Amino acid sequence: MDGHQRNLYLYEALNARVLGVSMDDVTTNKYFAQSLWLEFPILSNTLPWMGKDYGAYSDKPPFLVDGSPQWFGRRTVVIDKKGIVRYIRNGPPNFEDILTFLLKLEEEFKGE
Amino acid sequence: MKRGTISRWVIGIVLLAMTGLFLGGCATMGEKPKPALVRTDRGTVVYEEKYEFKGPIGWRLLRAESGADFEFGFFKFEKGNFPSQTTFIYDPEPFGGSRDLETRAKRYCTRFLWNSGIIPEVTKQDEVQLWGQPAIAIHLLGENPNRNEKSKSVVYLVKKGNRIISFVVTQWRPMKGTFDQEPFEQFETFVKSFKFLKKTFYEEMEEKIRELKAEGK
Repeated sequence: MDGHQRNLYLYEALNARVLGVSMDDVTTNKYFAQSLWLEFPILSNTLPWMGKDYGAYSDKPPFLVDGSPQWFGRRTVVIDKKGIVRYIRNGPPNFEDILTFLLKLEEEFKGE
Repeated sequence: MKRGTISRWVIGIVLLAMTGLFLGGCATMGEKPKPALVRTDRGTVVYEEKYEFKGPIGWRLLRAESGADFEFGFFKFEKGNFPSQTTFIYDPEPFGGSRDLETRAKRYCTRFLWNSGIIPEVTKQDEVQLWGQPAIAIHLLGENPNRNEKSKSVVYLVKKGNRIISFVVTQWRPMKGTFDQEPFEQFETFVKSFKFLKKTFYEEMEEKIRELKAEGK
């Protein structure tokens, strides 16, 4: 998350906005954001429809060490100006990859 | 042995021989991977064609897998009981999001050695210049009596364009051990001789964004 914070000036220059989404409640998210001095919103989605809609949900293996399903993993999704999902990557965010993709999108939408 | 069985053996041997030939070809044709560190005739080393510096002699190279907290560094085990060792690293993405040096330094220190169970104390903090760039040098000491270990660190947070990069050295000793100054001197030599041979990804990205904005005007 602090990586996104470091890149905010680049996201802004590329006309992109970043939102975090978590299954934690609002209060937990508030303290989490404060602990990392985040300046972008963290959405609380305790009934995880967003995770399901964006495919970050899994009830399939690999399971956690205690045998429980690994319901939600980290996933980065980029949605373009027309509301179309254009980029999906699982795991920790690859910032160079994300910025390169955003630059490509900005070139594509140039003048629109 | 039946004729069919013999011919299957022959085909098998021919296939094995061909596989051997192909594999042999791969081994000789494939390029030898370039070493990460290359010596120069200037008494320095070049790391992955990106950075040039005076490297420590006899230390082991540390290379990060993706997602690690640093890009590369060096470490060495030292005389004395565990955990007698010193590590230094170059980290282009030190903890924190602020691009202001002082704010970043303050926030960085809240997470320093986070996983070690040590909360190091800042003993000295100076505004300095590194290669003409504004920087902050932070000196820290910490201890964890429960694990019988203590640490001594120096951190440089350096302004590089719009971003902040860092160099960190940490020396570990058992609680009754004594710190050794020499590795810190080697770290100073490493940092002060450090040169960037290429633009960073972020510098190139900023340039591309500027070009794109200029085209749009």
